Amino acid sequence: MAEARISRGKLALTVVAGLALGAGSAVWATRAKGMGGEDYSGWSGSRVTGSPDAGPWLRAQVAFSGLLALQRSQAIYFTARTDSEGQPLREGCRYRITGGAMPGKWWSVTVYAADNYLPVNSDGALSFDATEVKPDAAGNWSALAATRPEPGQAWVSTRNAGQFDMTLRIYQPDRSAQDDFRSIPMPRITRLDCAGAA
Amino acid sequence: MKRGITYALVFVAAVGVGHYASVVAAPRVIMQVALTKMSQGGKRINSFQFGPRTTEKSRGVVRPSPDLAYASCVYDLSQGPVLVSAAPSPDQGYVSISVFDARTDNIAVFDTAQYPQGIRFVLAMDGQDAPQGEQVVRAKFAKGVILDRRLAPTAEQFVVADQARRSNICAPVKN
Repeated sequence: MAEARISRGKLALTVVAGLALGAGSAVWATRAKGMGGEDYSGWSGSRVTGSPDAGPWLRAQVAFSGLLALQRSQAIYFTARTDSEGQPLREGCRYRITGGAMPGKWWSVTVYAADNYLPVNSDGALSFDATEVKPDAAGNWSALAATRPEPGQAWVSTRNAGQFDMTLRIYQPDRSAQDDFRSIPMPRITRLDCAGAA
Repeated sequence: MKRGITYALVFVAAVGVGHYASVVAAPRVIMQVALTKMSQGGKRINSFQFGPRTTEKSRGVVRPSPDLAYASCVYDLSQGPVLVSAAPSPDQGYVSISVFDARTDNIAVFDTAQYPQGIRFVLAMDGQDAPQGEQVVRAKFAKGVILDRRLAPTAEQFVVADQARRSNICAPVKN
């Protein structure tokens, strides 16, 4: 009989190896997906972040990359990892971020390094927010993400950020934004140039 | 051949169990680590701790906002409910109080747009008696954390926010 030839030791080893691989794949998958959710013009966000309605996978993703995030009635979070052409955001490039009026009381855009913490630099420009941009008559604004500032521009420093991402936070969002993330005019991230590029 | 199939099936099942169990356990484990860190190894329970201004060196919690002043109260409801109150910032800037349980769920949130005179509530577990006349938030788990977030994008605004939050209360309800 086949059952008689199964070694208990080998079976235990198989179970342990399987559990370890399963645990490793869970950590890898949840960390790789960041805060998870759906894509909105290159920014990912979830309607159930922080909510008791979140499923186990989203809850794990948030625990790894956005612990203690608020639910959407209070704040909405979106994360962009690539520019408008789908290329990963990296320290060696300069980016123009453009957007319109945001549907909330206050908003900010912050750069995070790959370790999910703020980039280690002393530039004092870890984010830019609603009070720093200069909207035109139509409410459109622009800002710079680069290792150095430019005169007259809202700026977030990417120095020592390596390959990074940006998080848009909209606090006290309007009801329409809470109900339909697709109604939010997401900022556009345009790559201007990269160091060493011709 | 049959033996090989048996090992393969056991392996695949173990991978599935390991994956799902880790996904379910991760938030509680990560939260427990964060609670231990925020309560200074369990020494600061049911009292607000006031964090310094967020800088590039901040490593307490992942993805902190450099524009907010954070204060935290790690709670333990096993001995009874906790009274929580927070004063508004004098500049009427954004202030919120959010309650997170041991599973990382944001079970309640209040802000000073709703409560311009200040936020006040009692946090109690299901089944615990709470004082009459108080707004009550019910928690499924005994442990978790309450966060005070205040808009403070500049050093000057941080000083103002820090002064205001010092009157916060997070303490066991007195019988």
